Amino acid sequence: MHNLAELQLTKNGELRHFLTPEGLDRLMLERILDTADSFVVVGNQEVKKVPLLRGRTVVNLFFENSTRTRSTFELAAKRLSADVLTLDIKTSATSKGESLLDTLQNLRAMHSDMFVVRHGDSGAAHFIAEQVTPDVAIINAGDGRHAHPTQAMLDMLTIRRHKGKFEPLSVAIVGDILHSRVARDQIHALKTLGCTDIRLVGPNTLMPQGIDSMGATTHNNMESGIDGADVVIMLRLQTERMASAFLPSAGEYFRLYGLTTERLAQAKPDAIVMHPGPINRGIEIESAVADGPQSMILNQVGYGIALRMAVMSMAMSGQMQQRQAQALVSSSLKGEAQP
Amino acid sequence: MSIIIRGARLIDPGQQLDQVTDLHIKNGNIEAIGDLTGLNAASEINAKGMILSPSFVDILTYLRDLNQIQKGTIVSETQAAASAGFTQLCASPDTQPCSDAGSVISMVNNKVVSAGFCDLLPVAALTKELKGTQLSNMEALARAGCIGFSNASYDISDNNILLRCYEYAATFGLKVFVQAQDQQLGDGHMHAGATATRMGLDGIPVIAETLAISRHLLLMQHTGVSGHFNQLTSAKGVNLIRQAKAQGMNITADVGVAHLCFTDTAIDGYRSQYHVQPPLREETDRKALLAGIKDGTIDAICSAHQPHESAAKCAPFAATATGMAIYDMLIPLIQGLVDAGDLTWALAIQALSYNSAAIAVGKTPKLSVGEEANLTLIDTSHYWTLNSSSQLSHGTNQALANQNLKARVKLTVKRGLVSYQM
Repeated sequence: MHNLAELQLTKNGELRHFLTPEGLDRLMLERILDTADSFVVVGNQEVKKVPLLRGRTVVNLFFENSTRTRSTFELAAKRLSADVLTLDIKTSATSKGESLLDTLQNLRAMHSDMFVVRHGDSGAAHFIAEQVTPDVAIINAGDGRHAHPTQAMLDMLTIRRHKGKFEPLSVAIVGDILHSRVARDQIHALKTLGCTDIRLVGPNTLMPQGIDSMGATTHNNMESGIDGADVVIMLRLQTERMASAFLPSAGEYFRLYGLTTERLAQAKPDAIVMHPGPINRGIEIESAVADGPQSMILNQVGYGIALRMAVMSMAMSGQMQQRQAQALVSSSLKGEAQP
Repeated sequence: MSIIIRGARLIDPGQQLDQVTDLHIKNGNIEAIGDLTGLNAASEINAKGMILSPSFVDILTYLRDLNQIQKGTIVSETQAAASAGFTQLCASPDTQPCSDAGSVISMVNNKVVSAGFCDLLPVAALTKELKGTQLSNMEALARAGCIGFSNASYDISDNNILLRCYEYAATFGLKVFVQAQDQQLGDGHMHAGATATRMGLDGIPVIAETLAISRHLLLMQHTGVSGHFNQLTSAKGVNLIRQAKAQGMNITADVGVAHLCFTDTAIDGYRSQYHVQPPLREETDRKALLAGIKDGTIDAICSAHQPHESAAKCAPFAATATGMAIYDMLIPLIQGLVDAGDLTWALAIQALSYNSAAIAVGKTPKLSVGEEANLTLIDTSHYWTLNSSSQLSHGTNQALANQNLKARVKLTVKRGLVSYQM
């Protein structure tokens, strides 16, 4: 298997890129969550800034539209006192490769320290970290249907803050697993953090081939899928799925897989309900549930800023350590060359 | 020109020949086979431990050139082909401009002839511009020397058109070459399986191949056209061909060397060098392809050589070009299969030479006195490193770049003349 730990960590095991939780060990994921916990407090203070990224330049590169993720990353970087540049870049389908390379090389020449990347192609952040700008910290803000690690980790933070340990938990992820970059990272993170009962719920058209090999069970029936669950994660259903024949109608989807008060009663009485947002009321979730006491949907948004602050500060510090180590090596090499 | 190759292991699957002896080439032909101690020639090669076989015929390759010289030229790629033991090449009609007219084909042929490394066995476009709407001038193209017709990797989804293509080809006894993959189901970037799911890449399911094979088989049966399937990928696909052959259908099939050696897990980490079409599948499929060669379901091994410039592979995976530059690593890849016990050199030679010649030109090569000398000599214990100075193809998409490899062609002889020598 490709070594994702090597790519994401420095030689000393510090985070330098955050592309996916896959390949990172439990200790590292817990460190991310612990650091995020400390930033949750910062968000509650009168003055919300900390100087961790002062003098550093963070570039938000959004090749795909996103309002929420972009704004939480921007806010997170500003609360860390970084200089932030946000670029919305629309790519033409024909020249994706070229424009991506050119854009990145230009931004690199401006001595940026961190790129936060959202791109429509799976593996885009990986490509940038590996081949284009290895000396700039890369945070994956969503690539194709592959990964959305900060969303998955903020979900882990939500679960840990409200449910404690992961080992005894049953977690159901409901909906469009096929197109979901969040679901894949949630499975990796849940498994690494010790959760052993991960259930994926949806019709066969939205269930990717071979997903069970990732360590989750698949369920076509909503009732049995969420039966006795501690955590129910609802995924967003894009309306274009109906036009492309994955589903007959929003109405039928809601009837079969929508989370209603009645259905939620199948889960544990203290089960929490999560959703990466934005929610489609009446398509994947009933308003009474979304706004109800078990819903964590708005808590997730707040934790999202803290989690992103954690990952950005950790990756920046890992990247700086690596740069210093490299500078040390090259200066000692120069020293040897001189008589 | 007189060459004596001494002490080689002669393998000729057509005659069940596998014997260590000497071979003398003179005036373009095989002059003598046997113990030639005492005989001298202008050029002598000590081939102890090496394999000598009829030269190879590539049933599918991409020559680039014309408007794609950044990927490779006819000179560079035919020389690379000669260095892999080939003397005859069936080039895909997917050229720019498209090989749907006699003028384009003769232009390509002239370039191949003047390069002098290999002979071209032209495969022309089945439909004009490969668009799947209008028939190409098949009869005229066949008279101009085209050995068959193919729509390259472009599926003709309209059954009416495909039926007429086959009816028309059958009228004149022409052969069709098919890359069987359904257009809609084939709209992905790698094999649909656990690896694609984990990496979030759009998958191409096995049904994309089996559905297309079944459809082509039915239309071939209905029209009586002689068909050849290029680049099988799956165990289920091999089974369909096996069943059709058992029913007595006049069909043949090949497999790309990449599909014999690699699986979808090689793509892990978004390795664009393994981005090929049709896609690399799973280990069970790879084993079934090897079994298909052993039991004769799969007749030939093709290179499907597709050189690219470095920029074509340097992008997020889905945006990268498909295909692998194969020629420089073909012999080491086969040697790897032989060393792993997956294949024997006798079977490989049958698939690369004897059977592919039978499919392409209807004539099989023979290692016997009086025959034209078209030969490949392989040093199976030569160790070397594949890098920019040792490779001959202009393609930078070498999956095994900078690796230490075993086995290499020592000598390729085309009509009695040396077309490549290590």
